[in-house]
Amino acid sequence: MGKTILIVDDSDSMRHVLGVTLRKEGYEVIDAKDGVDALEKLDGTRISLIISDINMPNMDGITFIKEVKKIYAYRFTPICTLTTEGGRKRIDEGKDAGAKAWMVKPFVPQKLLETVSMLVMP
Amino acid sequence: MNEEIQESIQVFVSEAGELLDEMESALLVLEEDPSHEGHINTVFRAVHTIKGSAGLFSYDHIVDFSHHVESVLDRVRDGQQKITSELLSILLACHDILENLVQAAVNDQGAGDEEVQERTRGIAGQLEQYLGESACAVDENPMVSHEVLQIDDQISGIELGSNWHISLRFGPDVLRNGMDPLSFMRYLSRLGEVVQILPVWDDMPGRGEMEPESCYLDLEIEFKSDADKVTIENVFQFVKDDCKVTILPPLTRHSLYKEAIEDLPGEPMRLGDILVESGAVTERELKEALEVQQSEVDQAELKMENISKTPIGEVLIHKGSVHPELVNAAVNKQAKNKGSPEKTIRVSADKLESLINLMGELVISTANIALLANLTRKDTLNDALIEATENMGQLVDGVRDASLGLRMVQIGETFFRFRRIVRDVSHKSCKDIELKISGGEAELDKTVIEKISDPLLHLVRNAIDHGIESTETRHKTGKPKKGLLHLSASHDSGGIVIKVSDDGCGLSHEKILAKAQDLGLVKDNQKLSDQEVYRLIFEPGFSTAEQVTDLSGRGVGMDVVRRNIEALRGHVDVESQPGKGTSFSIHLPLTLAIIDGFLVRVGKSFYVIPLDMVEECTELPEEFQNASQLNSYMDLRGEVLPFIHLAELFQEKNVRSGRENIVVAKFAGQKAGLVVDELHGEYQTVIKPLGKVFRQLHGISGATILGSGKVAMVIDVPALVKTAASGAFEHGRFSSNSEVLN
Repeated sequence: MGKTILIVDDSDSMRHVLGVTLRKEGYEVIDAKDGVDALEKLDGTRISLIISDINMPNMDGITFIKEVKKIYAYRFTPICTLTTEGGRKRIDEGKDAGAKAWMVKPFVPQKLLETVSMLVMP
Repeated sequence: MNEEIQESIQVFVSEAGELLDEMESALLVLEEDPSHEGHINTVFRAVHTIKGSAGLFSYDHIVDFSHHVESVLDRVRDGQQKITSELLSILLACHDILENLVQAAVNDQGAGDEEVQERTRGIAGQLEQYLGESACAVDENPMVSHEVLQIDDQISGIELGSNWHISLRFGPDVLRNGMDPLSFMRYLSRLGEVVQILPVWDDMPGRGEMEPESCYLDLEIEFKSDADKVTIENVFQFVKDDCKVTILPPLTRHSLYKEAIEDLPGEPMRLGDILVESGAVTERELKEALEVQQSEVDQAELKMENISKTPIGEVLIHKGSVHPELVNAAVNKQAKNKGSPEKTIRVSADKLESLINLMGELVISTANIALLANLTRKDTLNDALIEATENMGQLVDGVRDASLGLRMVQIGETFFRFRRIVRDVSHKSCKDIELKISGGEAELDKTVIEKISDPLLHLVRNAIDHGIESTETRHKTGKPKKGLLHLSASHDSGGIVIKVSDDGCGLSHEKILAKAQDLGLVKDNQKLSDQEVYRLIFEPGFSTAEQVTDLSGRGVGMDVVRRNIEALRGHVDVESQPGKGTSFSIHLPLTLAIIDGFLVRVGKSFYVIPLDMVEECTELPEEFQNASQLNSYMDLRGEVLPFIHLAELFQEKNVRSGRENIVVAKFAGQKAGLVVDELHGEYQTVIKPLGKVFRQLHGISGATILGSGKVAMVIDVPALVKTAASGAFEHGRFSSNSEVLN
């Protein structure tokens, strides 16, 4: 039974590298290029973890997280924010919106996988 | 891995190109009309994204430079800096430099050539003027200033939840059994604080179907407590039969459990026990998981399928009883405990070879002594001697097993070598293929492993080349893009089964049949089952591949594969489902030197039939007794059984005494009867190869020495079964051989 992770990031290469890293560990990966796109992908598919960028066009990460928390089926889905701004402010904003964890780009694959393995819903 | 990076870099280059285009056009719009402030955001995002992506590939020069640009843009966004035409032209220059840097980075030139470096320094200097006082601190070393370094120690973080998560799924009978779900909540709150309760109404029936006496309550509870898992679980003790309870410990507890796992004594333990000892899993959870595991196996057995058990860790994770991370910790611990005491000594293969040869002689002479002891029994009633020889017999058996075990090596190493081959071959044929390996810990005689690796290679190549479809075709037929090739090994009734399976297009019944008719292997009106058709691919000169590649497809393959495997006293089966895939199973004996045999007498000579191929023994029906034809058919409980008179086949002198017996041997799904004069039962057979002169003998695969010193021939069951089944006996061939024998 593969665990599915949703990646939300406007950068193609970021999505690609994250995808490759996670798929190699055996996760299924769905990706979306911004908040709006991501909400469309949350169509009832079982998602074990959402990794979302903050700074994105159309709908930013913070708004996206708040929207996810409103969807009944995904209210317990853990969310991890991914941000270039290491500032505490962004991290706190994400946390207030309902994110469980944060990661700073550029990520170290090993660290990412460790974090992911702690977060994914069984 | 390298390809993946290359691919990622390509994505980065095209993405950076697009972003830089956007940046340029936004800057040009701004140049015409500086009031268009929205465009400054576009520029900012472009630089920001490039910085983030460049960081992934450690293109530090790009990260450094874009960080400077970003800082300036940030000030513009905050209104601290006005957009001037001078600034815009600097930003356009920044755009060009970023373009150069991206190009230089992917060409492995670092910061680019002299000229680019010169310009980079110049522009960076100009940018600094716009950064104002706040940037002065980094002035000394403007090129190393990214915040990424500063926050390295907190590169990721998890807001560790300190609450337990309890899922309750009350069964419908809870109320009827006199339980009050609320009372459990009350009791639970004595152990700590119930932070949040969320009802789940997934199982709630419609209003009309609702029964007033049934319980439909499902709850998700956030619970704050210092109690341990068992204590919390005990809250629900009275309702445990009626209610599904899943308790997830808070993330903060993970480190505690991990420490507990680490602190366990360093002796080999089962995984489940490690988890229970550490407190991560309760006994109840383990028991339930074990039951799930067992029922899977039982079901598979019902369906006559051969599956390997799901690891207990996975079952526990699936049930939501434990976090994957803790299972990993426990697996590591287990491996560590197992790994440390094992020490190895290198011994040359020759020494082992001679030990096993001596072992064989010892087994034979033990049999000899046992025979002599039994003979003296009648004369002297010397029980002590009998007992002593039996004792010795058991010890010799033990020593034999141990010494044969010395030559056993894990097949995993051979499997792992296929990784590279699969990678290379799949690249060559432009297919995306994943190699899955399981059961690599199964052990096989080293000589068998050496001889099996060529046939395996052939099967693997075939699977990649012909079995698994191209990525395009797979996509069209709705299969996952990645093809799956599975190598597995498992033990099966005294032997080993190696499976090579793929999820490709399967074998084509029609193509094989047509080809076989072409080659004249099958007559036009012959009706064949799928199995029989699939087996045709092992015939010499057979290949249905439309295109001959340098990998496979020359049609010399499969019959060689079969021959090699049969030379190891094994056999190969093929199963296939059109569109779903093909699976080859290679059945091999564990060792070549010593086998369990079945001793029979034919005429004056003794013969040994390998015991694992003997199905049953029965009396030869009246009507065939004392018949002298070589082969015939009989009715074995409604089944047609072809049989061969060994006495006729090997032209033994006729010394028939009493009734003849028939030994039913089975090979590769085909049965055949061997008519013999006397059954002597199980016999430890040390196989001695036949000399060069006798290599070509049909029907005999070796010889052995009996306890009495007599020689017995080992029957080549595969050959006889096949000849008997096809009914095509060539008298001449057999008789000429047996003359040599006599």
